[in-house]
Amino acid sequence: MSTTEQTRTGQSEVRDQIREFILENLAQPKGITSFTDEESLMETGVIDSLGIFRLVAFLEEHMGVRISDEEINPDNLKNLITIESLVLKKRNK
Amino acid sequence: MAYILQQLLQRSAARYPEKLAVWARGKSITYGELESRSNQLAHLLQQHGVRKGDRVGIYFPKCVESVIVMLGIVKAGAVYVPLDPQAPPERIAYIISNCGIRVLVTRPEKRRLLDEATLASLDFSVVMDQFPEQSNGSRVIPWAVLQEYPGDAAPPVTLTETDLAYILYTSGSTGRPKGVMLTHQNALTFIEWCAEKFQITSQDRLSNHAPLHFDLSVFDVYNTLEAGASLYMVTEDLALFPARLAAFIEAQAITVWYSVPSALTLLLLHANLRAEKLQRLRTILFAGEVFPMKYLQQLATLLPHLELYNLYGPTETNVCTYYKVDRELLPTMEKLPIGIACENFEVFAVNDRNEIVTEAGGTGELYVRGPGVTYGYWADLEKTQKMVVPNTFQRNFEEKMYRTGDLVQLAADGNYYFLGRRDSMIKSRGYRIELGEIESALLSHPGVKEAAAVAVPDETIGCRIKAVVASHSGETLIAAELQKYCGTRIPMYMIPETIEFREELPKTSTGKVDRVQLAQESLQQPVMQ
Repeated sequence: MSTTEQTRTGQSEVRDQIREFILENLAQPKGITSFTDEESLMETGVIDSLGIFRLVAFLEEHMGVRISDEEINPDNLKNLITIESLVLKKRNK
Repeated sequence: MAYILQQLLQRSAARYPEKLAVWARGKSITYGELESRSNQLAHLLQQHGVRKGDRVGIYFPKCVESVIVMLGIVKAGAVYVPLDPQAPPERIAYIISNCGIRVLVTRPEKRRLLDEATLASLDFSVVMDQFPEQSNGSRVIPWAVLQEYPGDAAPPVTLTETDLAYILYTSGSTGRPKGVMLTHQNALTFIEWCAEKFQITSQDRLSNHAPLHFDLSVFDVYNTLEAGASLYMVTEDLALFPARLAAFIEAQAITVWYSVPSALTLLLLHANLRAEKLQRLRTILFAGEVFPMKYLQQLATLLPHLELYNLYGPTETNVCTYYKVDRELLPTMEKLPIGIACENFEVFAVNDRNEIVTEAGGTGELYVRGPGVTYGYWADLEKTQKMVVPNTFQRNFEEKMYRTGDLVQLAADGNYYFLGRRDSMIKSRGYRIELGEIESALLSHPGVKEAAAVAVPDETIGCRIKAVVASHSGETLIAAELQKYCGTRIPMYMIPETIEFREELPKTSTGKVDRVQLAQESLQQPVMQ
């Protein structure tokens, strides 16, 4: 596998893992069974004031990144795409 | 003295026309603009047939226009009904029907969530950012049309303080939300107490954290207007992110903050609060649920320069008692009182022998009387008669009192302490939730045979909700499916986080679901990670 393909696989894995976590732990308990990668998770109510911290804990524990209080903001956590971006950016440091 | 809410705005607009009245999402309006836009909306509504006492729904996420709309509706002599922008459309449709709402002020993305039948039942909607499009069987008036109406004065209305100003819907135990009717007098009785007690001036900068369908927002909006102060609305982009919220409080130099305790707990735990950054904040008020003592103590220590108050009261009375936190006593207090009655309210506890509790240590159900108390629930005579009852302790003239359903204890110092509920109403994040409403939603699912909703204590938010369900034989149900189903009927914060399936539910000797046992079982379970 070429480096670019490896990176791409790594990327989609990260996104899939995040999607799965959010679906099972944040969305389903609120009666939401699906969401697109682009949809704002705050606007749809998937992420609420408690959910944010559970998501951050998951990212830190399972994705091996450290997220500061300032980074917990609507730009980074808006949707699956931005969350994945945040994780990859931190990993590549 | 103002006797109807719009006079608060009119007076402040005359004194401070150029002053910032409301801020939200980086946008703001002055008192002059708020006054003239609300006048225009009042004329528009009346000219399209809105009459005194008509209910007008407000259905869009919080923004500066929210306050224009609230005031425009009362200036038309009508009654505003704030609708939760995050509630499932079916619930909104129910409220529109139950309340006889024939006019909505809304946005296209909200309006399109409503079904055909509901839209057809409306006379018209005023829609913001409305582009010319099909009206779906109901007249649509673009917000932009407002400018064609006179803004210098409101249309004449024959309101008195005893007329309804707004109706707030709360969770109902029999499965459907109920509308608490509130008059101008109800709101002003409370606001006048606040203005005096908290000395709110035109220099103050109040936050508005609560959604507009929750009565905490009545404090924020109308105290601002009364004093000619400025209101800074907290929208979801801030509310969900404690660090951002703290930055907002600092940047907007908020002087008075009022919210449920859970919001303060989240700030305390995740926002790295610093007293130096919050020097302008002089008063923090909290209400709606019990504030865990350890978090209150930490907050008080962190912010030594400000005053803290615990406010108590159901939507039916807004706030009826208060307690100012005594910083000297706080470190050793185990429990915070709900305090003593606000001026122009009377409260008393009634024991099992139907006597008013007067001795220290006595316990009973808390009753409230005075001009701050609701007349009752919209179109629900049965519930009204059950909760808003004749004051049998006073025989000189007919009057009503409200039974809160809260059990309280009277202390030697005259303060009341909250003991618990008579029934199955719980608080989660300050939200009032009737377990019965959740159960009704579950039971309406064809596969569900029995259902019980249980509150599992949680130190941050008060309670989490768990459901125990028995399905009809032959049916396999999964939690995710039931949760999704619930989401079509009840707001997200009421959906059970966990659902346990059993063959059948434990019963008492009289054949009713044994809730006590279920509650005990849930206490023994491990805390959710």
